[in-house]
Amino acid sequence: MNDYIENFDAHRGLFSRKSKEEEEDQGWKLFGRVPPKQGVAKPPQQISHEYQQRNALQNNNRPKKSDIEVMSTTALILENRPQNLPTKDPEEAERHRLQYEAMIEAAKKKEQRDLKMKKKHMQQQLKQEDQMLQLSKRWANDILPNWELTKRTKKTRDMWWQGLPTNVRGKVWKLAIGNDLNLTPELYEICACRAEDRIKQTCDSDTASVSDCSPEVSTSNREASVELIKLDISRTFPQLCIFQKGGPYHDLLHSLLGAYACYRPDVGYVQGMSFIAAVLLLNMDVADAFICFANLLNRPCQVAFFRIDEAMMKFYFQTYEEFFKENMPSLFRHFSKTNVTPDIYLIDWIFSLYSKSLPLDIACRVWDIFCRDGEEFLFRTALGILKLYEDILIHQEFILLAQFLTKLPEDISSDSLFKSIELINMNIDKKKFSQILASKKEQGKMEMT
Amino acid sequence: MSYAYLFKYIIIGDTGVGKSCLLLQFTDKRFQPVHDLTIGVEFGARMITIDGKQIKLQIWDTAGQESFRSITRSYYRGAAGALLVYDITRRDTFNHLTTWLEDARQHSNSNMVIMLIGNKSDLEARRDVKKEEGEAFAREHGLIFMETSAKTAANVEEAFINTAKEIYQKIQDGVFDINNEANGIKIGPQHSPSPSLPSSSGGGAQGSGCC
Repeated sequence: MNDYIENFDAHRGLFSRKSKEEEEDQGWKLFGRVPPKQGVAKPPQQISHEYQQRNALQNNNRPKKSDIEVMSTTALILENRPQNLPTKDPEEAERHRLQYEAMIEAAKKKEQRDLKMKKKHMQQQLKQEDQMLQLSKRWANDILPNWELTKRTKKTRDMWWQGLPTNVRGKVWKLAIGNDLNLTPELYEICACRAEDRIKQTCDSDTASVSDCSPEVSTSNREASVELIKLDISRTFPQLCIFQKGGPYHDLLHSLLGAYACYRPDVGYVQGMSFIAAVLLLNMDVADAFICFANLLNRPCQVAFFRIDEAMMKFYFQTYEEFFKENMPSLFRHFSKTNVTPDIYLIDWIFSLYSKSLPLDIACRVWDIFCRDGEEFLFRTALGILKLYEDILIHQEFILLAQFLTKLPEDISSDSLFKSIELINMNIDKKKFSQILASKKEQGKMEMT
Repeated sequence: MSYAYLFKYIIIGDTGVGKSCLLLQFTDKRFQPVHDLTIGVEFGARMITIDGKQIKLQIWDTAGQESFRSITRSYYRGAAGALLVYDITRRDTFNHLTTWLEDARQHSNSNMVIMLIGNKSDLEARRDVKKEEGEAFAREHGLIFMETSAKTAANVEEAFINTAKEIYQKIQDGVFDINNEANGIKIGPQHSPSPSLPSSSGGGAQGSGCC
């Protein structure tokens, strides 16, 4: 998990702005420790040299106790007076010197403060990492080896709620998703090979298949979905830059989705799948990811959505709305009044299992509990999101609501979201989500006949 | 900010033709070379001025994959304008226009103004559909036509605004019944005839940050 975050950061670093040091000959200098680069443009060299000497002196004089290293500041200081200006009278010069020194002093103080904060932050982070390490040890040593016995205990479930440590996440997901379909890595290999052949075929007969435009919908559909995989891979987590062409996960994602389309030609590739496959690939090897993917998509909720079974989707939406009404009656009324129907935002959330709409680390935590609690947690998460932003949402008109919900704030905090999810009650008159869903289905059937 | 009218638009067309990029260019004036794919529907809004009147566009940007058609069909309801987009570098996206058009005609109000858009006009070297073909298709089906580039912003403003002009003209000609919201047109709060639109009088007037 950490790999791709690092990767992302590395990419960011690549594009960071370059300093423009060449253009200063009037004596303007960025205040800070200028690295003693030799061969930099000549005129400012002298200035920076003098400046460094003075700076070094100051550094030496500084009391030893401050082990905090001030790296640089962003203050822009006029070192030397431009020659085209008349000389200052000594009094003014002295005043300016004092002001200048005060400014530097203030800048330094600010830096030290910032550094202290940074240090504190780092200590907190270390502490968190330490806790995670302890947690991951407990998962690896106590829970995972005795999975069947431990998975339902309160202790395990509580620890699970805290979020799975990244190094055991893939393993827990795999165990929790299970393999009812009895798939094997060998089957994956076979499907992946077949998919590759088919992709080659469509590439070779590219012009032919497009121009003859066969009326037989099913085959042209399937070919189109193979084509579509190619198009969508580059649009899957584009900000991570690892699934795009040339990226380390590009081919794996392509193989996995192609293999699934071969394994289930009746379902094929549906948009949203690429995100689910990508999240799995980030947490386990490709054969395991395929097995989890196929089993996950075989769950009733995923079957309903990925096959666009509108009747079933409607039952899920109706059930969701029951819980919405129960948990946030006034917001529910506001949504009804403004015509914000659940399909508008839930489709994206459910299809991608939140991986497209929430920051990836939070989405993974949602997946953790989705693996623990099953499909009802997807709807509970949706209500948790609404609850978290209830105060904002209740005042908004249709378009703002729709925009907000289809593009959630990027700074959403994991802890506050999970606190608000915790507040969502998933029982109505002692009836669970599954029971209400069953009764909606029953009602639907009755209406049909 | 208050507005005289609100028009609902829907953007349709095959996946990957640049629907979301057109919307982003129109609302935010920027281009994202790799855009997330759209699942379900996304939204945009912007205020424009026509004939000295403030008009708010509420834009529904739909998923292009065939599988999602049955879902997006319901989003035609109440749309006053549609942008039907194809990619000039991919002929199949042009070939599918007929089915898109059938869908649009069948599920929308008969007065909906449809603008046909050949997007990615900046990729001249990879062009697969001639401009004349787009023009011919539009003429044959009574659509307005334009080639655009969401990347360079060429014709993007025009595409959205000309559609609005056409709708506005239809209102002037009395073709659209503006009191029937099923036509995809809402009268702005300050113009609203007092008894009919009680719900929109408060919230609608608040300007949105996005516009």
